[in-house]
Amino acid sequence: MTVKWIGKRMMMGIIVLFIVSFLSFFIMHAAPGDPAAAFYGGNAQTLNAAEKERISRVFSLDRPVIAQYGTWLAETMKGNLGVSYKEGRPVSTILMERLPNTLLLFGVTLFFIIIGSIWLGTTAGMKAGSLWDKGLSTASIVTSSIPAFWLGILFISFFAVKLGFLPSSGTGDIGGEGGFTDKLRYLLMPATVIVLTHVGIYARFLQESIKAESRNYYVTVARANGVAEQVIRKGILRNASIPYLNYIGMTIPSFVGGSIIVESLFSWSGLGQLTVKAVVTKDFPLLMGGILLTGLIVVLSLFVIDLITYSLNPRLRKGDVR
Amino acid sequence: MLSVRQLSIDIEGKPIVRNSSFSVPLGKITSIIGESGSGKSMTVSALLGILPPGAKATGQALFYDKNLLTVSDKEMMEIRRTHLFTIFQDAANSFNPSVKMRHQLFEFSGRKSGDTNEEFRLKMEGILDDLGLAPEIMEQYPFELSGGMLQRCMIACALYMKPGLLIADEPTSALDMVLQKEFIGLLKRLNEQHGTTILLITHDLDIVAEVAHDMVVMRHGEVIETGSVTEVFDCPKHPYTKLLLDSRF
Repeated sequence: MTVKWIGKRMMMGIIVLFIVSFLSFFIMHAAPGDPAAAFYGGNAQTLNAAEKERISRVFSLDRPVIAQYGTWLAETMKGNLGVSYKEGRPVSTILMERLPNTLLLFGVTLFFIIIGSIWLGTTAGMKAGSLWDKGLSTASIVTSSIPAFWLGILFISFFAVKLGFLPSSGTGDIGGEGGFTDKLRYLLMPATVIVLTHVGIYARFLQESIKAESRNYYVTVARANGVAEQVIRKGILRNASIPYLNYIGMTIPSFVGGSIIVESLFSWSGLGQLTVKAVVTKDFPLLMGGILLTGLIVVLSLFVIDLITYSLNPRLRKGDVR
Repeated sequence: MLSVRQLSIDIEGKPIVRNSSFSVPLGKITSIIGESGSGKSMTVSALLGILPPGAKATGQALFYDKNLLTVSDKEMMEIRRTHLFTIFQDAANSFNPSVKMRHQLFEFSGRKSGDTNEEFRLKMEGILDDLGLAPEIMEQYPFELSGGMLQRCMIACALYMKPGLLIADEPTSALDMVLQKEFIGLLKRLNEQHGTTILLITHDLDIVAEVAHDMVVMRHGEVIETGSVTEVFDCPKHPYTKLLLDSRF
């Protein structure tokens, strides 16, 4: 049963990645502008027709889009993501340089968002009608209404420009041997911005979920029969965490999308910033690689969340739908 | 055993129950009967200290010399844990859907009497067997069992606990006729064999006639008649009670 379920989930993940690659490939090619012109960047006006044609032929851009996609797909299946137009290096090498930074930012922020929202949401949800409860409801609306890029600019102007004790951008000192602590200094601002703008809304969701669960019949029955309060709370938390986890799962794609903006703002050299750069320079192989890897991160995170939900919810395990 | 005097319940200023007085004698089955909205379930909530937010109860409800309406939360917890057991109407939703029955039954019974897991298992399996339930249900989840089975699980906990007072709030209204009969039989057995005092809330006169010794008739939030079942059935005093009895045949 469980093995079958995992197999099904993995198949679905692969299908999702396939659809993502297909759509992004065609959207990319339908977008206005010419890769050859983008290749020349600021000197595009010096490009003549023959040269343009030569570039197109070298990169096989003169072939039908569907044929290009077929070739790309076949090569990708073999593990060859191609060579970046702009950098001339294999896409996989470039991606592997960026991946640790993105995983660090993604992992650290998601960790603190989950820890923070569980703490805030549980405290507020368990005390319905209290100051905590009302305070969180308001605070979550305020924090989630603040655009991350604006808060980021504010942080830069305050901590980097005015106080000058945090670097405004980048992932590490240039040529520095600072190691991990150095990286942490750079990580602090982008991570804080993402955590602050997200933690409230996740906490609010858990809070509401706990409040709804506490109104359930079985809670009254247990309380009326003198079942220990911590046992009741444990039961409530377990059930309330299922919609909360689903919510995290549902919002992970937009969460990753949001971190692209923050990465660009702080020049955090991760996948997001790389993808934005690849769009600007019309570096198709690099763009496809970036999208595919981001998609893979999303699919894997969803898979992990599904796995946790599956283990928490016996109805899923028993295949019961009542 | 339980003596309720001048009980009034308000929800945000709106009176739900007014000046109700009745008593539940030791070792007897007392039934509160009334149509829906007559305030019988609210009365139970007030006795158990589980009134919804915004509701206020005044008066007196003496149980083992303690006023249930004014005791501290801690004392109330202790009373619920040791002296009371309550079976509610909707058995299908009385258990947490994602926890195995064994753990829930243990929390409802064994844990409260301080038994170990092993003691609990032996005793509970005996009770379940007696009630016609296979021991396998301990390893199942509530959604895998029927409403009737779940209601029997609740009775099993009551049999395990042997509480001073068993409150049953419309325990049969979600069950079919056969299961209703069976359940009423179990209540009767609990009372006769173990001498358990029972407060049975119902809207069904047949059930009252079958099991109860005393009855309390409620209407529009007021107690309009009390007495032994034979007394009330033979010569009802209040016109509403007469109407109720007439409509039975």
